[in-house]
Amino acid sequence: MLVLSRKLNQAIMIGDNVRIVVVSVDRDQVKLGIDAPREIPVHRSEVFDEIQRANREAAGLAAVPSSDAVPPSIAAPVVLSPPKNNSRKP
Amino acid sequence: MPQGAFLETLLREDQNAQAPKTTTIYLPRFGECSYVNSEVIRFPWGLPGFAALRRFLVLSVDGEQGYIWLQSLDDLGVAIPLCDPWSLFEDYEAPLPLYAKQSLEIVTAESFCVLCVLVARPGSSETTINLLAPIVINLETRVGRQVTLENQRYSVRTPVVRTAAAEPPKEVVSN
Repeated sequence: MLVLSRKLNQAIMIGDNVRIVVVSVDRDQVKLGIDAPREIPVHRSEVFDEIQRANREAAGLAAVPSSDAVPPSIAAPVVLSPPKNNSRKP
Repeated sequence: MPQGAFLETLLREDQNAQAPKTTTIYLPRFGECSYVNSEVIRFPWGLPGFAALRRFLVLSVDGEQGYIWLQSLDDLGVAIPLCDPWSLFEDYEAPLPLYAKQSLEIVTAESFCVLCVLVARPGSSETTINLLAPIVINLETRVGRQVTLENQRYSVRTPVVRTAAAEPPKEVVSN
């Protein structure tokens, strides 16, 4: 991992258009300002970790491959359609 | 074993790229399943927790109502239950962030669908749904992505009050 030291109001550029500024430092809390194009998702990593855990758990609980009793051919691809609610947004 | 099955699928696709050919696979959870290529949904960014998995099917299983399965074709052991969030939360709102609309090339409201991951614990009444990060699929390109909404009031683990729709049926009820 690349480690850089920054002081208050100093910044780091990631690529040509992502800029991260140290906005404030208060004891063990650092506030960062992030300037990034709207098409780049920016999230706290806890959120991503949480989604990751939930997905793994959902799949883990789902995967019950008990070797004996797998039912024959009952799963079939679904025809997906947009829910009516879509029309209110996006 | 899943790897082998996947390679076999790829090879078959190469040999017969034009014809809509039915592929039959054996799924550890569901048994035999047949699909055609046009039913495959690609996740070019993977899924959080399953970054390497790219190709999926959405399956419905006989006797199971209110939810469907996102079945990986790259690792046949991975299947994730999904449901239509509006079937449980009528007032759910999922305005897509710009990165999602751009990356999925979503233009019209009719061109995509929104599904949420269910975490259901067998033997417990607690089921949760991930309302914060729905899975969005462009129905025209069949490309999907799990998208984190900007709306912070939704949780990754929103408790689901069990209704007939969300509860896995104990017995098959005749319609």
